Amino acid sequence: MTAPSAPRKLSILREGTSQYLAVDPDGFRAHIRDNKQRALKSRLMTAKEAVERFVSDGDYLTYECNYLMRGPNEVVHEIIRQGKKRLWAAGKFTYVDVALLVDAGCVSRADCGFFLSAPPIDRALKEGRLEVFEYSNVIMTLRLQAGAMGVPFLPVRSFGGTDGFDHSGAKLITDPYTGDPITIVPALNPDVAVIHAHQADVFGNARIFGTGVSDVESALASKKVIISAEEIVETAEIRRNPGATSIPYYAVDAVVHSPYGSYPGTCPGYYGSDPEGVFEVFRAIMSDQVQPYLDKWIRPFETFEQMLDERVGKPKLEAMRARETAREGYSA
Amino acid sequence: MTRAEAFSEREVARSTVAHLIEDGRTYWAAGGGTPLYAVLLGQKLYAPDAQYVTEDGVISPEPLLPFEPMMTMVASRAVHHALQWGTMNSAGVHAQLGHMDYGVLNTLQVDQHGNINSTFLGEYGGSGRRFGGPGGADTIAACCWRTILITDQDRRKFVKQVDFISSPGFLDGTPGARERAGLPRDTGPWRVVTPWAMYDYSERRLRLIARVPWVSVEEILAECEWKPLVASEVQVLEPPTEEELQLLRTELDVRGQTTDAAGGWITWDGEQYVRA
Repeated sequence: MTAPSAPRKLSILREGTSQYLAVDPDGFRAHIRDNKQRALKSRLMTAKEAVERFVSDGDYLTYECNYLMRGPNEVVHEIIRQGKKRLWAAGKFTYVDVALLVDAGCVSRADCGFFLSAPPIDRALKEGRLEVFEYSNVIMTLRLQAGAMGVPFLPVRSFGGTDGFDHSGAKLITDPYTGDPITIVPALNPDVAVIHAHQADVFGNARIFGTGVSDVESALASKKVIISAEEIVETAEIRRNPGATSIPYYAVDAVVHSPYGSYPGTCPGYYGSDPEGVFEVFRAIMSDQVQPYLDKWIRPFETFEQMLDERVGKPKLEAMRARETAREGYSA
Repeated sequence: MTRAEAFSEREVARSTVAHLIEDGRTYWAAGGGTPLYAVLLGQKLYAPDAQYVTEDGVISPEPLLPFEPMMTMVASRAVHHALQWGTMNSAGVHAQLGHMDYGVLNTLQVDQHGNINSTFLGEYGGSGRRFGGPGGADTIAACCWRTILITDQDRRKFVKQVDFISSPGFLDGTPGARERAGLPRDTGPWRVVTPWAMYDYSERRLRLIARVPWVSVEEILAECEWKPLVASEVQVLEPPTEEELQLLRTELDVRGQTTDAAGGWITWDGEQYVRA
């Protein structure tokens, strides 16, 4: 046992100066108490209803993985279709999502871990339609981890010394235990998380197979959680193998049945990506043609399912499924 | 192994890094392009017991090659037969714990102290150009014991001071600067590899230690905005082998996205290598 010596002075050595989402663990707890459904009642609904009810203008939005890799693309399309405004995006581990949402007029602030910078982003920055705050991928997921633990901040071993630090909500303090300098980052409790799972029951118990970015952290850290799932399974199936549950129902507000919901990306173990679709979205962004992309793939359709039927077609979807031959590990 | 007779400059850098990969070490490859291909090249040809992780927390996969376009993480072929499937936080935390021997990164701009810019060229917030941001590289550069950086040999990329530190090198170059910023002890930049040259660090400053046969030290120094230290003996690197190029072109960078002809091609004219 270490006896306390003279009390250490806790000092802030350096502070980032950028705006960050307000940290309020008790406010978050109160939100959970007042809004989350503890009963095992169905949360199954359409993407349209989920976005109408749970995504509001001005919300801080986190999406999991990205448009190319197990992204919640049905829900992202619906956010664009409904024309949500002034969202603040957690732009981590991202190629195209931020550029799509910015050019669609939905996102006006972004925390940057990584997202493809491209003409739509450059224009939005120049025209003052987008503000960016600097983090890194792991710093963003550690902020979500702090949010998922119900604590106000987390000490981290990276990010100190960078210019990103100065343009963030991080602080460098003296560690009260070792006396050494340590970076702390503000917990992130997004207003809404959208996550695509392999399986879920109607209550929201969700299974995600394979690797990921921060699915569980985002689900637990966010005030409102929309799970889209390739398959809706019986709760008896969830109970058969509880160790396979990634996200527990009481964190979840909406469950959307979303087969091929990651199109044109892959849902690992279920279907491979559509390389043509992947190139098309890249091309649209790099050549500043996002509006024609939205007009082709999103705006004309009532639902994602209608887009899949009319724009992609069954043969292509079946081919994507057939091409996904590495299936070991993608079941419970 | 057969010396190759025609290859692109960027293929040379992949080959040089492949020779740095060691058995029995862990590598965290940043993103899913160049660093991953370089590690896989080394692992498949020279160091079968080298292990790697990527940002999605996959540990030591046996990927099914070639990858589908852009699908070098998360996708089933990329994470196939791993020892563990994790998350970005598991990868980050394992690095914080000291499990990652080497980080392998590529970047837009590097400076004399090994600081890395992948965020902004020009004065931040001004009329310059924004890039993608650090991604996983900040944590790799902070927490892996040693980092290997891949970039092009170009005055605009080899600068005295980067416009924006996205990922930390030796910061201002003074002793203990990383520790004062809260970074783990005894970590930092180790090598920089370009299509023309390899550098290490002496007293936390870049030092030229090797060159390819077809480029002189003077030509290399002309493509640095400031003058790096030069080792008393600059080694001459081996050119790529046919085996390396075969693997790179048919299984790794099949579409030539990271090894394209940028910076030109090198050919053997019967007596020596020449830049096209």
